Amino acid sequence: MSEPTTEAVRADRLVPWGRSWTATLGLYASFVRLSFLKFLAYRLRYYTGVISYTIFISGHYYIYSALFRSGTPGPGGAVTIGGLTLPEMVTYVAVGWIGRSFYFNNISRQLSRMVVEGEIAMQLIKPFHLQTVMLSEAVGESCFRLMMFTLPITVVIVPLFHLLGPTDFALYPWTFLSFCLALVIYSQWNFLIGCLAFYLKNIQGVLRAQMVSMDFLTGVLIPFTLFPHWFQVVVQWLPFQGISYIPVTIFLGKRTGPELYQAIGLQFAWAIGLFILARLVFKFSVRRVIAQGG
Amino acid sequence: MSENLLVGRKPRRGVTAFIWQLGIYGTYFAQFVKSRLAYRMDFVIDTLAVSFSIVIQMAVLTTLFSKVRSLDGWSFPEVLFIYGFSLVPLGLFNLISVNLYGFSEKYIIQGKLDRVLLRPVGTLTQVLCESFSVSGINEILLGIGVMIYAGRELGLPLGIQQVLGLAVLAPSAALVYSGVFLAITSVTFWFEDRMGLAPPVYNLIRFSRYPITIYSLPVRLFLTFALPFAWVAFYPATWFLGSPGFARVALLTPLVGIVVFSGAVLIWKRGIKRYSSTGS
Repeated sequence: MSEPTTEAVRADRLVPWGRSWTATLGLYASFVRLSFLKFLAYRLRYYTGVISYTIFISGHYYIYSALFRSGTPGPGGAVTIGGLTLPEMVTYVAVGWIGRSFYFNNISRQLSRMVVEGEIAMQLIKPFHLQTVMLSEAVGESCFRLMMFTLPITVVIVPLFHLLGPTDFALYPWTFLSFCLALVIYSQWNFLIGCLAFYLKNIQGVLRAQMVSMDFLTGVLIPFTLFPHWFQVVVQWLPFQGISYIPVTIFLGKRTGPELYQAIGLQFAWAIGLFILARLVFKFSVRRVIAQGG
Repeated sequence: MSENLLVGRKPRRGVTAFIWQLGIYGTYFAQFVKSRLAYRMDFVIDTLAVSFSIVIQMAVLTTLFSKVRSLDGWSFPEVLFIYGFSLVPLGLFNLISVNLYGFSEKYIIQGKLDRVLLRPVGTLTQVLCESFSVSGINEILLGIGVMIYAGRELGLPLGIQQVLGLAVLAPSAALVYSGVFLAITSVTFWFEDRMGLAPPVYNLIRFSRYPITIYSLPVRLFLTFALPFAWVAFYPATWFLGSPGFARVALLTPLVGIVVFSGAVLIWKRGIKRYSSTGS
């Protein structure tokens, strides 16, 4: 039974523009927490994921081992392919997949489902930016993945393949920061793909094409140094290298000093650029929404 | 009227039953194609997506081979040929058995199996027929295309014998795929798990397309006897390549296909008997 004035103040707080910075941060932080808890409830599902990732890494281990057996030794006596020795190549593959287990999410599918099923209308009347909410949820999901997925995979994979860690200890936090930026780039790209649902209605084919091409374009499947020169130039100008190729090469110690800062800076630029682009595209696309009841 | 209905319910046995089931299969397929063609754009996009994924996989192979002459003694056209062959049984499998993927979610948890059990047609026939992946045709055609290209590079003969070989080996290999996934699906009757083991096994497929000599002995034995994915691409493909030793083993593919698939059908039948509805 409080006075009507406080009620009015509370209602006023719900308007996004009338909210304090701390309140906004608290709102999105609660989405991070909720998403983390939601995934925790389905944690059993991820045990088979650990098997899948072990299969991926093992399969590539055998393929690259055979490839290096067939390669011609360089002047130093060791075979190098694309500037990497076999242990480096195995580490490249393993760290690439371990990282993928952290940053992966399905935002594009979620957003397209919301648009197709009309649930988007309910999201639009709530006082938040859907894009930021989905980014927060992706962060929550990745926190969960880090604990329940990335960590078990690492525990299985590292002794299995005698992985090389960098001798410079500072590279560990740099790699982690780099993978966190990868998470932002990946989620914002996915959000942009999800926005296509406003125009295409059914984007199953697009999602499928994205799924098969992403691992190729991010460098998870094959290091860019194996590509022909023209393709290396192309991927330099795309955001995907910031999702896997940059963090993994940081881990391998292939980027030192200014090159390291440059790479992290490039990731920052893509993360912010894609965030702004996604916000604009979403704002524009939302005008096309026609909800039939709901 | 009533007489016709009675005739319709006469129990069928042997060859008549088989032909009758085939007819039902055809009817289901025609219905499915009609419903898919209602969304023509989806169909086109789906076809493009499949072609695109094949292009990506070929790009991976080409890139790997850009730095070396051979992979453990297998040349690029040979590996490409095995890859091309692998697409044909995979396409057949996708075309017919796509419904096995996600079966427990769709049929057990949502309770669609109750409806299937009410009808006087085999349960397995119905489940397999309720969804087709038309893009499987695309995989088959592209696979044959890749085989012809790689075969020319290798100077392999292309005659009636090869066509007959494909007509026998590809369906046999598809039986291995279907058998493996049917067995995994049937396990959900005992353990009501949502996705279960299907995703990791599905992910293994991409590694069954490489010559199995690149794997260590335990892995080779595993792929030959335990999870027989060596029979879906490598062994049958070596028949065309005439690889010493393996080409003879390839002739066992039909037998392996029949054994694996019949075993899976037995597990399925036991599972169906165990099934109790969730009530939803």
